[in-house]
Amino acid sequence: MSPAPRDRGVLVGMMGLEDDARVDFGRLRAQRRAKVLSGMERHDLDALMLGGVGDVRYVSGARQLGRTGVLPFAPAAVVVRETGRVHVLSTWDEGVPPEIRHDDLYGISWNPANLAASLATIPGLRESRRVGTDGLTPMFASLLSQLVTSAELVDAAPVMVTARRTKTSDEITCLDVASAIAESAMSALESALMPGITERELLAVYYESVASIGAPVAPSESVCFTTSTYGLAGFRYLASDRPVKDGELVVLAPCALYAGYEGGLARTRVTGRTAPPGTADLASRCSRSMDALMAACRPGNTGADLYRAWESAGNRETQVPLAHGLGLGAEPPLIGMGRGRDATLEEGMVLSVQSWIAEEGVGGCLERATVRIEGGAPSTLTRYGRL
Amino acid sequence: MCGEGRTIDGWSAGATIGGSSIPALPELARMRRERFQRLQDQLHAQGVDGLVLLGSSSVAYATGAAVPAQDGDRAALFRPVAIVGEGDSAPHLYTQYVDGVPADLPEDHLHGPLFPELDEGMELFAKALAEHFQAGARVGIDDQTHAMLRGLQGYDWVDASAVMGAAKIIKTRDEVACIRKAQHINERAMVDALAILRPGIRQIDLSAVFLRRAFELGASANAIDPIWQVMAPTRELGPWTLHGDLAYPTVTTDRLLREGDVIWVDAGITWEGYASDYGRTWVTSADPVPNYRQQAQFRRWRTVVDAALDILKPGVSALSLGKAAIEANGGVRPWIEHFYLAHGVGTDSAEMPLIGTDFGEQFDEKIVMQPGMVVVFEPVIWDEGAAGYRSEDIVAVTDTGWVKLSGSSYDPYGISA
Repeated sequence: MSPAPRDRGVLVGMMGLEDDARVDFGRLRAQRRAKVLSGMERHDLDALMLGGVGDVRYVSGARQLGRTGVLPFAPAAVVVRETGRVHVLSTWDEGVPPEIRHDDLYGISWNPANLAASLATIPGLRESRRVGTDGLTPMFASLLSQLVTSAELVDAAPVMVTARRTKTSDEITCLDVASAIAESAMSALESALMPGITERELLAVYYESVASIGAPVAPSESVCFTTSTYGLAGFRYLASDRPVKDGELVVLAPCALYAGYEGGLARTRVTGRTAPPGTADLASRCSRSMDALMAACRPGNTGADLYRAWESAGNRETQVPLAHGLGLGAEPPLIGMGRGRDATLEEGMVLSVQSWIAEEGVGGCLERATVRIEGGAPSTLTRYGRL
Repeated sequence: MCGEGRTIDGWSAGATIGGSSIPALPELARMRRERFQRLQDQLHAQGVDGLVLLGSSSVAYATGAAVPAQDGDRAALFRPVAIVGEGDSAPHLYTQYVDGVPADLPEDHLHGPLFPELDEGMELFAKALAEHFQAGARVGIDDQTHAMLRGLQGYDWVDASAVMGAAKIIKTRDEVACIRKAQHINERAMVDALAILRPGIRQIDLSAVFLRRAFELGASANAIDPIWQVMAPTRELGPWTLHGDLAYPTVTTDRLLREGDVIWVDAGITWEGYASDYGRTWVTSADPVPNYRQQAQFRRWRTVVDAALDILKPGVSALSLGKAAIEANGGVRPWIEHFYLAHGVGTDSAEMPLIGTDFGEQFDEKIVMQPGMVVVFEPVIWDEGAAGYRSEDIVAVTDTGWVKLSGSSYDPYGISA
């Protein structure tokens, strides 16, 4: 490994370099696993059975097939404290890191009873007393207790959420790369934005951009929306077929995944040449509110401080989050929408922070950034010009 | 074509499901109504008081609500929840995605999000449940977070899969029309991806072209990272597997495709909540003409699918379909050990009926084809030393036979096979 570069920019690329600069994925995985095993020790858990996409990735580092949506819980990775081994649901070794051996794999089953039978052969699982899971279904609750282990099934969150909350330096680099990919998609969207294009066509441009860079799995397809000049503009999530009109404010909100880590940003742009009257005021309120939120992103502050910052900038509570954790996808805490006043910010956390302001007759303005909580002021991992 | 089935070209020729002809495009409000009735029928038949649904495909089925496609943990943190009470006239939907709410959902059935991952606010979830169910009610649930296990006690939770599975396995005519439309968008986008395939193209370049085109053509969402797996000529040269059979599907990377690479393509987008399932075999070459041996693989694949289609009609068991396919392949099981001859498709990309899985023969014998089932046949013809051929044919079982929902071009192996 070459010396840590003084210009972190050299790390922001996806290609392996001859000098082994950039992310050392072996170290990344080893550090994550060490955090998990020490958490298991601290919380007296003998094993973990995990089904959440982020948790499975965190403990195993295995490349998983990207699928959208939430699937009901099923154990896709198992960690046993006594052996220190990580077991993965994979019928083959491609995409599985080298420290996970062939006999650590268990195969795809359609019949849950067969899956349970494979789990039962994992050394150390049967003898476990307390096993943490990140979800359950009535079916698995009964299969696991009948076929796999008599252990008490408890919440894995004290281990997993705690391990994932603050990021290692390799994780930050992954988030940096994801942020840069999202910025690249932002440039593609900005170039494509013109009167007559539809939101769905913009989504198509977004996908082409991230996929051709090498990040074809979208953290979210909610990457753009036009804001209405009639009435109070609402935050929208789904791409429509309506052509964007000249003078409309359009939110561009691309995001991207690198090695599972999510970065994203949002800016609001005027379509065509004429901004609706009141745009400058709206934009300045939006960025002022964003600055207020950012200023509150300090270690030791709580969600309540973000609420206060938001309100002191002259805003009422919004229907979208002020901030939420980022890492292997969206993570707790969720601050906003009535939640998260008690959540404490810590150095090493990464948040998605956003300011959404709508003004009747003008439209809406969204600014979003990927933000790292540091000792003093926070730093933004995403960079892009404001409106 | 064979049997009593009809291809897409003969679409309007009168194929029926339960006596109703299948429309070219769905009536979405009718579809939601009929699906909800199917859920109600199952709740009643199975003696379940209601459902609490958190999985994306179940919420989509029960409510028709659209949600932006999101990756794992983001989808989970911000997921909508559906609650269905037995005897209610409509589902209750708890969501932040207000622009995805069907216009026909009664206003008093639409609520703000519940955030099932978080302990904070779980009392709101508990309050919502208390509005729909009495203490001790027997309620089907498809997924439980620990926050829910802690905060939502006092109900007799049962797995929702029995109710959901029984409702979903039979599609209404409008659901069939949705699948056909999703498939059509998927196939048209693949024409553009295939057009750029030549040595030096990367797997992700194919994804870029495919995904762009799919959305331009009207896809609602992408469902799965598109797969362009290069198949090594022998099992031994492919990835190591637990069972010694083939590894498939492996995840797309920036791998450069080279002259002669045989790739097995698999992709799924959704339209109005319904998944497509595109499977084809392509050959990477400046001049992609499958050789004689490859053509023979393709003919064998066609023969296997046709053997199943020849007997496919209401009343035929999944086991008989599997046996017909094996027989047509000279007694060799024409699918990978961890997969199946066929699966269903709907709001899930793979759902019942599954044919030829590790559920075993007794299970398959009990799955009897009925009008409205949708079956994706995806046998694999493996020709050790020369890779193999895999494609997917989607059909809907009709009152008298079947109708094909996927297209009949198998470029570069053949057209209208």
